[in-house]
Amino acid sequence: MRAGTALAFLVLMAGSAPAAADRLIASLSTSDVKITSNFTGTSVTVFGAIERDPGSPPRAENPVIVVAVRGPPQTAIAWRKERWLGLWINASARTFPDAPAFYALHSSRPLAEAASAAELERYQIGIAHLALGPPGATPDDFERAFIRLKEKAGLYSEQSGTIDMPGASIFQATVQIPANVPVGLYTATVYLFENGAMVARADSNFTIAKSGFEQFMFTLAHQRSLFYGVATAVLALIVGWLAGVIFRRE
Amino acid sequence: MSHAEPSLTLLLIYLPIAELPVNMLLIFGMGAAVGFLSGLLGVGGGFLLTPLLIFSGVPPAVSVASVTPQVVASSASAALTYLRRRMIDLKLVGVLTLAGIAGSAAGVLVFGMLRRAGQLDFVVAISYVTFLSLIGALMLTESVRAMIRTRMGRPMPLRRPGQHIWVHGLPFKMRFKRSRLYISAIPVIAIGAAVGFLGAVLGIGGGFLLVPALIYLLRMPTNLVIGTSLAQIVATMAIATVLHAYTNQSVDIVLALLLMIGGVLGAQFGVQAGQRIRGEQLRALMAILVIVVAGRFLYNLVTPPAEAFSLTTLAGSGL
Repeated sequence: MRAGTALAFLVLMAGSAPAAADRLIASLSTSDVKITSNFTGTSVTVFGAIERDPGSPPRAENPVIVVAVRGPPQTAIAWRKERWLGLWINASARTFPDAPAFYALHSSRPLAEAASAAELERYQIGIAHLALGPPGATPDDFERAFIRLKEKAGLYSEQSGTIDMPGASIFQATVQIPANVPVGLYTATVYLFENGAMVARADSNFTIAKSGFEQFMFTLAHQRSLFYGVATAVLALIVGWLAGVIFRRE
Repeated sequence: MSHAEPSLTLLLIYLPIAELPVNMLLIFGMGAAVGFLSGLLGVGGGFLLTPLLIFSGVPPAVSVASVTPQVVASSASAALTYLRRRMIDLKLVGVLTLAGIAGSAAGVLVFGMLRRAGQLDFVVAISYVTFLSLIGALMLTESVRAMIRTRMGRPMPLRRPGQHIWVHGLPFKMRFKRSRLYISAIPVIAIGAAVGFLGAVLGIGGGFLLVPALIYLLRMPTNLVIGTSLAQIVATMAIATVLHAYTNQSVDIVLALLLMIGGVLGAQFGVQAGQRIRGEQLRALMAILVIVVAGRFLYNLVTPPAEAFSLTTLAGSGL
């Protein structure tokens, strides 16, 4: 696996390069996830190393590494059904402007051990700390439902103890990307917490995009929608006519 | 998330517009089963296929819009058979279709508005319940009565040429030679527009409305009804496909193609089977199907949902 050799390289780097303070080096197993006709989800590996500064005070007892992958912002509406004349109907709604379409978090130990809630809130680390509503507001039913439905769809997740640390300073986390993932620009951020404070972070980007036929059809449907519609209707007529001819008995 | 079985993965295909993978065989099978019924009963089958897709996880907006071209294909293959047997009143189809275009255009606009207002699913469900239970009950009583009459040895009262109902008193008369009808254009236009509108909003060909309307309202000869209904559905739904693709960008061509191929194959066998079954039995069968689908929707509407919340994302964002 390519990630493996890159990891070995990072170990060498971590041992030799001088640095002013503890730093993070991170990379991804891919920078480009392509959605093709047989796409059923994939995984992206985030790996890297903690680069120690030899001159800095002795290393903290409890470093916590957090890997968060955040999808493109997307405006979502959560609807609540209420009973109306005996029928259940979407009666009220709340809009979540620019909420991340995807959010997956892995941490080497539980988030609560990494930093205080206020600190996590500040950097929007963890599903509970994403800025979905006005700052400081307690989450309402809609916000809880939004998170619940996102988690159910596999688009929001949070796990601890899921970061591999084969050595003292290298780490690796595998983020599952489900098949229903929205396309767009994704950011994988690695945070290093020591003694309850964030001491380093590293961002890397990757894109998820449809490719080939899927991309072509999607673009056609959105940019040449009249042509796409006529082509679909003609295709339907041809299929129907063809079947009529093939199955003609008389 | 664990990886799917290799054999299952092979059957999955990613839908470019719906943006999710589906099981190819499942979709193909649904198309074939519904296509069989459409050939058998002379209906587009959309009223069964759209709910099936929705229940299997395809978003309602994409389901409705992608069933539209499938209805075109399966109806076209069956309509062709009727055309060869000269069992279609083409002039009537022309008038119905002109009205249908106006109805479809209005329907596609309303569809987009409802989708943005978050009420599309509810309106689709409540419309299915209303129309399907009404039509189902009407057809069931009629066909059961006809069956009892046949069983008791009395022949069906034939349509007498001079028989009139209120529809025949309306102005703007038109002559439809093949159907031997001389009737007002008003009910014809109203039926065409209503079928076009409902087809666009609900993803149904409207055969379940059109067949009884042609029989009971226009008093059309029964042997022409199914062919004429199919031809009208082909024309109206082809237009609705273009309008859906143009206005809502919700037609998934991969999904539609899978449904189409299954649908046309099923429809051929349906037409063959239909020639061996009596008319009233066919209508009773269709009535029962219609009532079952209506019941399924009603059940969902009245029982407290397990999850009261649902999420929609605004189209075009996040891209």
